[in-house]
Amino acid sequence: MSTLEAPTEQSLIFAMGGGGFTMEPSNPLLDDFVLSLASARARLGPSDAADAPGTAPEGALHASTAGPARTSTTTREPRILFLPTASGDTAAQIAAFHARFADRHCVAEHLSLFRLHELRRPLEEIVLSQDVLYVGGGSMRNLLAIWRAHDLDRLLICAWRRGIVLAGISAGAMCWFEGGITRSSGPPEPLSGLGLLEGSLTVHADGEPERLPVWLAAVRDGVLPGGWSLDDGVGLLFTGTRLRRIVSSRPGASAQRVDQVAGELVRNRLAPELLGETGAPGLHSSVDEDVQELRRVQRLRRTISGPRGGRLGRY
Amino acid sequence: MRPSRRVPRRTPQIVALGGGGFSMEKDSSLLDDYILSLTCAERPRVCFLPTASGDADHYVVRFYRRFSAHCDASHVSLFRRDQGVGGVEDDLATHLLAQDLIYVGGGNVVSMLGAWRAHGLDSVLRRAWRRGIVLCGPSAGSLCWFAESLSAFHGAPRRVRGLGLLPYSNCVHYDAEPARRAEYHRFVAAGMRPGFAADDGVALHFRGTLLERAVSSRRDGRAYRVEPACDSVVEVPLEVTHLDPDPNLALAGGVNPAPDSSEAVAPGSAPPGPGAREPIGAAA
Repeated sequence: MSTLEAPTEQSLIFAMGGGGFTMEPSNPLLDDFVLSLASARARLGPSDAADAPGTAPEGALHASTAGPARTSTTTREPRILFLPTASGDTAAQIAAFHARFADRHCVAEHLSLFRLHELRRPLEEIVLSQDVLYVGGGSMRNLLAIWRAHDLDRLLICAWRRGIVLAGISAGAMCWFEGGITRSSGPPEPLSGLGLLEGSLTVHADGEPERLPVWLAAVRDGVLPGGWSLDDGVGLLFTGTRLRRIVSSRPGASAQRVDQVAGELVRNRLAPELLGETGAPGLHSSVDEDVQELRRVQRLRRTISGPRGGRLGRY
Repeated sequence: MRPSRRVPRRTPQIVALGGGGFSMEKDSSLLDDYILSLTCAERPRVCFLPTASGDADHYVVRFYRRFSAHCDASHVSLFRRDQGVGGVEDDLATHLLAQDLIYVGGGNVVSMLGAWRAHGLDSVLRRAWRRGIVLCGPSAGSLCWFAESLSAFHGAPRRVRGLGLLPYSNCVHYDAEPARRAEYHRFVAAGMRPGFAADDGVALHFRGTLLERAVSSRRDGRAYRVEPACDSVVEVPLEVTHLDPDPNLALAGGVNPAPDSSEAVAPGSAPPGPGAREPIGAAA
């Protein structure tokens, strides 16, 4: 699939081994890093984005969904869409997402593939008008099967090529690679992913250590290609298909690269950059108090009017 | 050959609800009782598949409230299997094929069919049907058994291919969603195969692939056979039997007549009957 869908340098994937709003409610470093990737994209502005290579078609979509045209010096709020599919769209994950992003400089929405009757816009329009698609954890097997059933896998690849940031944790991280280790059926086992990125990924290396031996055996036996193992809190940033940065929200968390060479495993420990020391993510952490107040009222109103009140499942 | 392999031959049965049952009718167990009566079991083994709702916890809870007192109730979650809280944890096929009734919940039919296929449940359910395990469900739990159906999402209705156990099309919530009815007519006129439409509260009971009868928990519940005719469609109304809550009138000639609800029954020894269940709580 990846050979046909050529990514550009604007194509970003951020794959997290664990962490983010579902696992680190009091540590926003990874999520702010995700937003910083989106803000860089949003800063281009709709008209500029349309001129960037490989991103031309979305300019019109932004213009229609992001309100009046802005000058290129204004940073519009990045649009971030949460896909809780792998969890079965649990209310807890969705609430945690909105709790994390509601007061940040972004437009946060979620897309439930189990409550699509609530949608009033085509799936394609919703997905391709975002700056970030953030995929939650859960069952990797269900995630991929349900995406395929809705033809969403094709849309996500399209989004990636257009430079919409693909971010995800756990199942939502492994899905972009050639394969991963899932516990979708109970015991850990290898499973193929979408194959946008070369290699395999295994997650929660410290939090769920039982995955690791299954992954190592799969790489050694050639069931999965070599790849990365990530602790909770560690994320890999790819531009195009190239690994650009390894970051972490937790001191001491690490990653390793493992390859099979002549039947033997070659393991390399990788040291991530600790986030929060570089300073950059903090810029995007909050919005004006009045805006926060307005959003609280909007959330309350949407809750009262019920799920059918909003076009998208926005809290 | 081991004795356990000699499964008695039973006719395949499907009960397709246009809407209703424990998830939509908290004050009426008429449809659920009718379905249970088809199992011919004193204490039916009933397994719930909440896949179409994303295994919503409140749905699972409501299922147990309705069924656990009179049945061996269980559920299978395809989303929580890694956390050890997915209901049944061992071999899903073995568990499902040991049931008397498999009850499929409502929600999104496309998501459900995708997840089922990923776990091989589509072929398990086909086997269950052939063995005479009763299959039922409302909404998505109805559409899935048919060859094709109409599901409204992405802002526009779409043709959905189901498991195809019943060689017809299907439309649910026929009275409650007029737009769906109009779209269904349009699709059938345009070549979707003929099929059955049911209102909320109406159950279509199939033996094999033939409609046995239509029953309803509501006096005004209707069902139709919808067929193409002269660039349009015809709605042929079906005879719908109202399931009377009066136990003396219920299920005349049924295989498992409901007991008088005023009669004291020993727990676990009596077949299910109307009035024997506690009302379930409001939807979450």
